Amino acid sequence: MAIPDTAPIVYRTHRRLQHKMQAGTILSLTTIVHPPTGFGVKPRSVGLIRLDDGSRICGQLILPDPHADSRALIGCRVQPCLRLHRVNEQGLRIYDVAYDVLSGVRDADAPFPGYILALTGPSGVGKTTISEALTRIASQYAERVPIVTTRVPAASDNEEYVHVTDGEFHAMETAGKLAAITQIASTAEDRRYGYRSADIERIWQERKIPVVVTEMHLLQGLAARYGRRAILSCGLLPPGRSRRMMLSCLLHRLRTRGRDSAESIADRMKNAEGDLALLHSRGELFDHMIVNDDLDTVVSTLQGHMMELQKI
Amino acid sequence: MTADIFLAGAGQTAFGEHWDRGLRELMDEAVDRAIAASPCTALDIDFVIVANMLAEFANAQAHLGAMAASLLPHRPPAIRVEAACASGAVALHTACALLESGRCETVLVIGVEKMTDADPGVIATGLMGAADTERDVPVGMTFPGIFGMIALRYMHEYGLSREDLSLVSACHHDNAMENPFAQFHRRITREAVSGSTMVADPLRLLDCSPISDGAAACILSTKHRSPTRIAASQIATDTLSITERDCLTSFPATREAARRAWKEAGIRPEDISHIETHDCFSIAAVINLEDLGFAAPGKGIGLYKMANPPVTVNGSGGLKACGHPVAATGVKQICDTAKQLAASGNRYGLAHNFGGIAATSCIHILDHGNS
Repeated sequence: MAIPDTAPIVYRTHRRLQHKMQAGTILSLTTIVHPPTGFGVKPRSVGLIRLDDGSRICGQLILPDPHADSRALIGCRVQPCLRLHRVNEQGLRIYDVAYDVLSGVRDADAPFPGYILALTGPSGVGKTTISEALTRIASQYAERVPIVTTRVPAASDNEEYVHVTDGEFHAMETAGKLAAITQIASTAEDRRYGYRSADIERIWQERKIPVVVTEMHLLQGLAARYGRRAILSCGLLPPGRSRRMMLSCLLHRLRTRGRDSAESIADRMKNAEGDLALLHSRGELFDHMIVNDDLDTVVSTLQGHMMELQKI
Repeated sequence: MTADIFLAGAGQTAFGEHWDRGLRELMDEAVDRAIAASPCTALDIDFVIVANMLAEFANAQAHLGAMAASLLPHRPPAIRVEAACASGAVALHTACALLESGRCETVLVIGVEKMTDADPGVIATGLMGAADTERDVPVGMTFPGIFGMIALRYMHEYGLSREDLSLVSACHHDNAMENPFAQFHRRITREAVSGSTMVADPLRLLDCSPISDGAAACILSTKHRSPTRIAASQIATDTLSITERDCLTSFPATREAARRAWKEAGIRPEDISHIETHDCFSIAAVINLEDLGFAAPGKGIGLYKMANPPVTVNGSGGLKACGHPVAATGVKQICDTAKQLAASGNRYGLAHNFGGIAATSCIHILDHGNS
């Protein structure tokens, strides 16, 4: 008696083929010198593989070099391919997914789960306006990630904020549910902001690009969580040839949008000065610097960058 | 435990190849020895529990409960239990439940396996039934393959060397020299283990427990007292398939069963003098010692390197050297632990038996302080 391979069992195994056609990473492996009856007489390499959707399976491995040190292959990437697996006792040719081992390609070099579009810039530069316009125009492939905040709700707030208490925020933070957090000091209160990883991952599952509005801490938090390469990081600058002109432009915008008190504007301007300085000094954190002098132009530029990502 | 359950008697056949004897004869010998070693007569037995995994598969024989009961003159009620390699300990646990409930006063537990009747390929297929037939088997996986992956991952995470791993089997073979029931009475060196035929990289032939025939029997009783009491009997379970485990280098069911067993017995690992653990493959013994609380993660091999370890590990020779007639092993571990306690005069011993990839993990603690 060989392995149980009556038609219903083969059928059930076959139904899972589609799911198995994914790249993954080797968690461990072995070479079975005498495979079970029905699997031929040659040594057979099998591995425990973590597929890119997070599930794990046992699969046949195709090693580039059968004499390679197997311990060195833990963590290597694998690529699926359909192979004739075996011929059963009834002569049924059974195909299954085997995995090509890409030796030398480690998990760290693996494609990440998805991209995030991050917009960074000083207060008043138009981050929220741009992200709103972008996700409205490109709603099929971009979605805003709601910001979790301990800030007191304001009348002008829209659905971009999820208001929570300090305690709730702390609980989420300790449970590891926040992908990135930051604290923004102001004279009135200490406000904490963050993004929930569940929101980001849900948007990825819908095959869209999450759009986040960030400052330095949030941007670095996201980069630490998902890898810098997962983030399409755009720095937004106010128009103006000098820092003084940029700041006066920001001040003008903050005053005209009428959302902030004079005190709050003063706070924001103080932060904006620091933000502008960082945009210049931490260039490695940004893929593109965009001057926001015309909303439509900025949105279409960002759309172009996102289209490039969708192609990958 | 809600009742004082005593190990009234225990006995076993030699483990090995018994071409001249079938399931019935193997059970008969073990039962005779257990009764002879106890203050009971056959008629004191209220209930029989048989542990067996592969009889339908390897011997075309089902219905082992009645077969075992037919060995006794009064044909007591009998059942058969199965939990792969943990069948033996699960049978003991079932007996404890019957005794604790008060339904029975004296229960005979038999573990029996007759593996050499069938082709080794058939046995290998049958044993894979302990894993997940639809997730693990279709790829051509075997149990040495699964433990090979576990061993490689362990080496990767903790830097265990091939030479150190070879200590496990060498040590177990040394221990078996004193055990008349062991399948192998031959010392093997570390070099011999490291140089033996490759089975599933990095595991070699001498890392693997053999295919064996054998039976073991225990009489547990609340009525017939003996110096040895069951201080704890615990089972915990986990997923069958290796693909559903988060961690390859530790078995959560063993940790859980151990946690409950320490609580039930009211003792700590330091109180134990003898361990019989489930070394179906050498790497399993290393991981078990860590999960049971006798070593920190990654340090299990340390107990094999010590000149005077605080506990004896597999003093009988373990599965590797005694043989592993699958369902008999859990019962035989109790026989051996009791023997070691009687010989050393120490108070506590622990038997740890698991099935599959520790998908069922059972712990029994014996207390030899009741004379």
